[in-house]
Amino acid sequence: MKTKTPPKMAVNMGRLKLKNPVMTASGTFGYGEEYAGYVDLKRLGAIVVKGLSLKPRLGNPPSRIMETTGGMLNAVGLQNIGVDAFIEEKLPFLRKYNTAVIANIYGETYDEYKKVAKKLSSAKGVHALEVNISCPNVKNGGLSFGCDPKIAARVTRIVKDETGLPVMVKLTPNVTDIAVIAQAVEKAGADAISLINTLTGMSVDLKTRRPHLKNITGGLSGPAIKPVALRMVWQVVQRVSVPVIGIGGIMTAQDALEFLIVGAKAVQIGTANFINPRATLEVIEGIINYLAVHKIKDVNEIIGTFQS
Amino acid sequence: MAGNIYIGEIIRNEEIQEDCFLMKVKIAPSFENPLPGQFVMIRIAGLNDPFLSRPISIYSFSRGEESCSIELLYRVVGKGTQILAGLIEGSQVEINGPLGNGFEIQTVKKNIVFIAGGIGIAPLSLLMESLSRKTDCSSSAMIIYTGFQSAFAVVGLDKMRNLCRDINVCTDDGTVGKKGLVTQVFQKDMKKFTPENTSIYACGPKEMLRSLAKILNKNKFDCQVSLEERMACGTGACMGCAMAVKDKKGALAYKRVCADGPVFNLADVIWEDK
Repeated sequence: MKTKTPPKMAVNMGRLKLKNPVMTASGTFGYGEEYAGYVDLKRLGAIVVKGLSLKPRLGNPPSRIMETTGGMLNAVGLQNIGVDAFIEEKLPFLRKYNTAVIANIYGETYDEYKKVAKKLSSAKGVHALEVNISCPNVKNGGLSFGCDPKIAARVTRIVKDETGLPVMVKLTPNVTDIAVIAQAVEKAGADAISLINTLTGMSVDLKTRRPHLKNITGGLSGPAIKPVALRMVWQVVQRVSVPVIGIGGIMTAQDALEFLIVGAKAVQIGTANFINPRATLEVIEGIINYLAVHKIKDVNEIIGTFQS
Repeated sequence: MAGNIYIGEIIRNEEIQEDCFLMKVKIAPSFENPLPGQFVMIRIAGLNDPFLSRPISIYSFSRGEESCSIELLYRVVGKGTQILAGLIEGSQVEINGPLGNGFEIQTVKKNIVFIAGGIGIAPLSLLMESLSRKTDCSSSAMIIYTGFQSAFAVVGLDKMRNLCRDINVCTDDGTVGKKGLVTQVFQKDMKKFTPENTSIYACGPKEMLRSLAKILNKNKFDCQVSLEERMACGTGACMGCAMAVKDKKGALAYKRVCADGPVFNLADVIWEDK
């Protein structure tokens, strides 16, 4: 049974209003144009673009990916065209669509985060920043910025001081207690928190006894990681009051709804785009159907309704 | 990027040589005419293991009034192709394509040489058919050098018999044709060709292409190669299928085999040290 008016799908991520809670995950949707032939981009809640660095980045040598059971490993090494080329060449295309554009940024030093944030803040058509703190901190022996609550907080503060845009911080799951990091970035001023980035993994070629990935280790993504991601989102929503965005192995509307029910304000669809370019739209339609069938008028009515 | 997603129906899926299958898929007429060298991403909808779609180059294409069909020639190399090989007629597959850039046909030269390794013959076969239909190619001689492991692995030659002036088959073990690697056999014949009168198109295993690069680059032959790499998306988003290639300034760049290729100029490819 369907209700007469379609359910309301808009959600607020702090100051940022989204037409629905479904975004693309950084690094899985290019700069939008790669999927424009498959997906009507203006139907998306937001497009989170591939991670941007101050200078163009070559990325890791191949092989960069390996399939795993229910997922894949990647060690792309954040290959990207750099923030200036993004603003000049990619942003004009994205401005044509009436959809929120979230620029994912990263640096190897605090100063790089600061400079990338500054450049994007004055660019027309960027609606928010997502800060990737999973990358290695060159000055700290290559350990990820996101592994230490103090360092994670410092990156957050530096970006916040540089921009008037809403700032979402994307957390790595490769830590002992992700909620501690979440609290630290919230205290440092993060407007929203997204999680999880990929889980570090590896895979061995039995013929050569070498790693399948040239980088040896890579980030695991896909449906295999969904239960871990869901558990972490549930833990984090109980400890912070800013909006939390759930990411990790979401393939279907059912998966997305689980994240919303445990308290995520929105979700990001990542690796699913690779095998099903229309995954984002199918998730949006599936959520609308679920709400209609259950006679729920507004998606916000199910967010955080988890019964433990 | 011309790709789109189609539900295809398998109308033939037959083992034509040991571990080598020919799959014919019926597909909606809106499927664009593929260029030789283009590929599709194929998967069984809803299946999460194997997780990723498989990139397979288009072997042949035909268009009817109400539907069109593509043929894929593939070797069973792992879990994904094994499952594809088990599909019966009437099964459905999800096809994303046609994807990537095809071979570029520039000035037509006197000799058009194809160098294929194993299943690499598939995209070259489509190219050969397409060239044979071009009137300005009618005075060119098409010559193929094709290498296989052994007699049991020889595929794809039937169609070529009418199109090629010379078919040079070689096998690693000498069970059919000349014994030796296809690159060695070609090298012995190389005096017959000059860069001015010959275009070369190649597809095959990396080791073969690496040897070919050594032979051809110092002689300045123009050669386009179709490369293969593990892929996740096939549409240029994931950056997973990177290949080291010289950019316009000659500097190292990692290009996407799916969206920047799969066809590259052999002279631009940077081969990793062994």
